[in-house]
Amino acid sequence: MTAIAPASNHTGSRTTRLLGAAVLLGLVALILLGFFGAPEDDEQRDAVRMIFIHVPSAIFTYVAFVTTAIGSVMWLLRRSIWWDTVAGAAAEIGLLFCGLTLFTGSVWGRPTWNTYWDWGDVRLVTTLILFLMMIGYLSVRSLGGDEGATATRAAVIGVLAAAILPIVNRSVEWWENNTLHQKSTLTDGDLENLTLFTLFVGFAVWGLFFAWSLIHRFRITWLERELRAIDLDRALDERRAERDDV
Amino acid sequence: MTDALTPQAPRSGRTRSRRWVPTAIGATVAVLIVVLVWNLFTGALFFYNADEAIERRSELGDDRFTLQGTPVGCSIVAGVQGSDAVTAFTVAFDGALVDVVHRGEPAELFEGGTPVVLDGQWVNDSAGVDGFEGLADDGWHYASDRMRVKHDEDYINDDEYEERLAEADALAAAGDCTA
Repeated sequence: MTAIAPASNHTGSRTTRLLGAAVLLGLVALILLGFFGAPEDDEQRDAVRMIFIHVPSAIFTYVAFVTTAIGSVMWLLRRSIWWDTVAGAAAEIGLLFCGLTLFTGSVWGRPTWNTYWDWGDVRLVTTLILFLMMIGYLSVRSLGGDEGATATRAAVIGVLAAAILPIVNRSVEWWENNTLHQKSTLTDGDLENLTLFTLFVGFAVWGLFFAWSLIHRFRITWLERELRAIDLDRALDERRAERDDV
Repeated sequence: MTDALTPQAPRSGRTRSRRWVPTAIGATVAVLIVVLVWNLFTGALFFYNADEAIERRSELGDDRFTLQGTPVGCSIVAGVQGSDAVTAFTVAFDGALVDVVHRGEPAELFEGGTPVVLDGQWVNDSAGVDGFEGLADDGWHYASDRMRVKHDEDYINDDEYEERLAEADALAAAGDCTA
């Protein structure tokens, strides 16, 4: 039997180190632009600066969960372990972004809407449902047992979660009278040039962070799979040795 | 000899009990989603715009409902109703006007021109707040006790914004709400 040993004890590479450095530099630029470059808003004053974290988090929540859905479909169609690993990794990062979206939205809502949360607000509640669905997705992935069956169950939830993304995104248009949330900043909003530029810096930083963390998480999950395979091979070898001794 | 290669059952209940954690999380999540969807469909936030609220006044009676409208800047007055400190103002939506008396602190971003979402009910009486001359002045007012602001998706920094606010305040102080 051939034991598959991990090539190194970390998941870094030249590409990820470059990505990581770009994320750090981008964060510094975002902080400087966000706090000192972009102007305050006439109505919201400094509270508007939350937009530079909130909107990129929301957009990359969508990107991550769409990635999970694509990975899930590829698993269901082709039984591709590579895509299943991508799906799981993207879901974990998407959950982080989604949590950040909910948190920053809530913090932003207090000074602007005059409330942290409203249980009847269609945008807030559908986003929370998305967050919970992805917790459910990751719970199913961690159930253990037969890996193929677990991946299939998780993939179904991954596709279902992505199916509610259009509802979350369009809720502010479809149920205007059920939400405090403003319409889309990017498609309907009117932004100062420097505000828009800083927002795009935010997108770039979040995008780089998404790529960096996706690669690392993918590699960790892949190594975990290999380790399980090694453990299984080792256990089988031990059993064979026991059998030969008898 | 194949028996020797058959995987053995877990030696303790630990592995099995560990599977209960994600199962319990999954079940809790499923229940929470059902509760949230139910809550959403019962329409806890659904609000009527000022024109709809006027149209449905008889139907709404003294039920609590949520109202949306844009405060008319020059109508805003901080005053007293009975022994309570209140903020009185008129909200507009699509040409319809509603006089509002709000008990409690107004929202931080409350100002003329920025839409508000209010919880309260119709009262078949004029506002009765000294210094407040409601623009609707139709013998009704909306008694509110919760205010949220529904700001728009524009993020602008207009050099003349402060001047326009100061002008509106000056008009309000002069009791002129026609400009």
